[in-house]
Amino acid sequence: MLSRRKTLLGTLAALTALGISACGTGAGTGQNQAASLIPELGKDQKVEITFESYNLAQAGVWTDTIKGLIGDFETAHPNITVHAQAPQGGGAVGSNTVSSVQTQLLAGHAPDVSQLTFDSLDFAATQLGAQPISDLVGAKAVEDHLDGAHPFHPNAKHLGDWNGKTYGVPYVFSTPVLFYNASLLAKAGVTDPDLSTWDKVADVAKKVSAVTGKPALDLNCTSKGGSWCMQGIFKSNGAQVLSDDRKTIGFGSDAAVDTVSKLAALSKEGVLRNADINAQYEGVIKGDTAMVVTSSALQGMLMQASKKAGWQLKDAAMPGFAGKQAVPTNSGSALFILSSDPAKQRAAWEFIKWMTSDKAYTEISSKIGYLPLRTGLTEKGGSLYEWAQKNPLLAPNLAQLDRLQPWVSYPGNSYVQVDDILATAVENAVYYGKDPKQTMTDAAKRAQDLIH
Amino acid sequence: MFVEVLPGGGPAASPVQAVAGRAAAARHPLARRLVPYLYILPAVVLLVLWTYWPLLQNVGLSFQDWNLIPTRPRVFVGTEKYAKVLSLPELRQALMNTVVYIGAFLLISVALPLVFALLSRSVQGRARTFYQALIFVPFLVTPVASSAVWRWLFAPDSGTIPAIAAALGHPMGDVFRDPDGSMTSVIVIVGWQMLGFGVLVIAAGLAGINPDYAAAAALDGARRRQILWRITVPLLSPSLVFLSLMTILLSAQWTYPIIDLVTQGGPGNSSTNIYYLLYQFGFRNFDAGLSAAAGVLFFVGFGLVALLFVELSERLSFHDN
Repeated sequence: MLSRRKTLLGTLAALTALGISACGTGAGTGQNQAASLIPELGKDQKVEITFESYNLAQAGVWTDTIKGLIGDFETAHPNITVHAQAPQGGGAVGSNTVSSVQTQLLAGHAPDVSQLTFDSLDFAATQLGAQPISDLVGAKAVEDHLDGAHPFHPNAKHLGDWNGKTYGVPYVFSTPVLFYNASLLAKAGVTDPDLSTWDKVADVAKKVSAVTGKPALDLNCTSKGGSWCMQGIFKSNGAQVLSDDRKTIGFGSDAAVDTVSKLAALSKEGVLRNADINAQYEGVIKGDTAMVVTSSALQGMLMQASKKAGWQLKDAAMPGFAGKQAVPTNSGSALFILSSDPAKQRAAWEFIKWMTSDKAYTEISSKIGYLPLRTGLTEKGGSLYEWAQKNPLLAPNLAQLDRLQPWVSYPGNSYVQVDDILATAVENAVYYGKDPKQTMTDAAKRAQDLIH
Repeated sequence: MFVEVLPGGGPAASPVQAVAGRAAAARHPLARRLVPYLYILPAVVLLVLWTYWPLLQNVGLSFQDWNLIPTRPRVFVGTEKYAKVLSLPELRQALMNTVVYIGAFLLISVALPLVFALLSRSVQGRARTFYQALIFVPFLVTPVASSAVWRWLFAPDSGTIPAIAAALGHPMGDVFRDPDGSMTSVIVIVGWQMLGFGVLVIAAGLAGINPDYAAAAALDGARRRQILWRITVPLLSPSLVFLSLMTILLSAQWTYPIIDLVTQGGPGNSSTNIYYLLYQFGFRNFDAGLSAAAGVLFFVGFGLVALLFVELSERLSFHDN
């Protein structure tokens, strides 16, 4: 028995040594840079492309709207077939877009067009092999598309650019908005509240808590998965998560520590509820939550929920710190081309143009609640004019676009871990009473080591 | 059984054939020795292809820096990734949590099922089958569905469990967001699922014990407790060792989906375990080398535990004819 085991272990050790030497050579071939523009599709040329979108992992208005748009595209372009799919693997919606693409790359067939969140822009452009669209179809073609009859908002237009090239066409995104249950606030005697600063929000929350007996404010930004809007809260207080030269992590700075300390105070005073993002969504849908700062993409779903349950939904812009202008950051994603086949690339570009057209934004904004990035559509004569007039929830969201700062992606392979470290530190300091100074500087130090 | 024996027919022919076959094999001693290996060849090929080859590739990966993108180069970095794994601040907590998880599941999926299975012996006939089925059913519920239901049960505002706790005078908050409670909640959910598996294994073990032993001992005047501790439990020990080994080796995997769905390892890594950490580094942070190195270390660690148990089961095994 013993001898047999020894032999086995010996064989294993020998094989192991073999494996190491065998695996040593796996160098990649590098990316092909398109030197000239990709050709137009021939008249009878049939092309099939795969489109991966995390909106297809969300049942209801999201999937229905996107599927509808894809159907319309195929009708308009009978030669192009689009296979639409949701990202693979588990995790929260929108949190696994890159890992899904990467898994499929390893298996040898990545999606041709993928909807990737902005926090992975650096990684997508430098590592994942996203194609520079402005090289494929020419910078002018991209610019012409982004302008058109109703141009993209200037703050949205170049969010998918990397080192002077367009890698992603900004697609759907939202800004952080404070939704509130006006019926619940009215019960506490608060009508038409001023919610422009965190102090004022805290005052209203305390009044509501006096009636309901529980914390009245939910904040997506301070829970894991909410880093995109936490970046905005930092910026609202003069802090940065990453320096402009992308070399230094900034969430250990005094301004950042001060930001976290102020939010921790809200938590300590019983204003802020400690809940993960899913619980926050459930709370606001059920009508339990008085106020929540979350993605404006929830608008469509919340409108349905409030109508069904008979409470009044209102919203305000993201609050700021007293005496300082609030700086909203965007959530969301851009559309990237991953295919290296010219025909598929051309079909992908046609598809991307369709999904970011006037018609697409009319549907996406009115049905889901994402921002109409072609803001002209909401003005007189535009297809969203009437909807915008009837929908008072849109105004704060749209106004924030003028002050929008991009959601920053961290450099390097460990960008997700950097974000995790920040989110854990923020949770520890805000909800669990850890010393903000110590927690944030430790986190920044660890993150700094990871971005090189 | 139904073969008609004809004079000079089959029965007579077969010894002749056998002799002829043996003669042929004797002419090719090598071929004869190879035959048994041919029988196990398909199994060995599959095992090498699906288990040992990936294992070796993993060992190879653990010495490289690679972000799992096929077009990006793999850089050989020696043992750097091992050093990094061992210095990860999260690793110590994840290891400690894993030990606590294993301890808890030894209680829930070995000790508790033993009690349940022994008690269920006094239930007779169909009722027993029904009772065992009831305990086993949660094992068939998918982790996604069960974690959704448990999340509602634990919901701080309207959940049944906090409501009962409050009625008993022990108000509880959001257990998934409490660093002291998140792990307990994962243990409860996974334990609820795994209890049935344990009961099934032990019930099968009990069914294999010949009742004559107990009857004989009772005839000699043994009391029930004596029969239990001197006869039943020792005869059951192979099942118990098997179940314990399964629990130790698999508990980290059983907990993985629930951790991912319910707490994501939080708050502040209080409910994470080593497999969840591995997944985070490999597939969320794109550090193939780091998670491969961690995988190798865990493989060696759990391999030693498995060896220990194999030894233990050899010592404890009874051969009941």
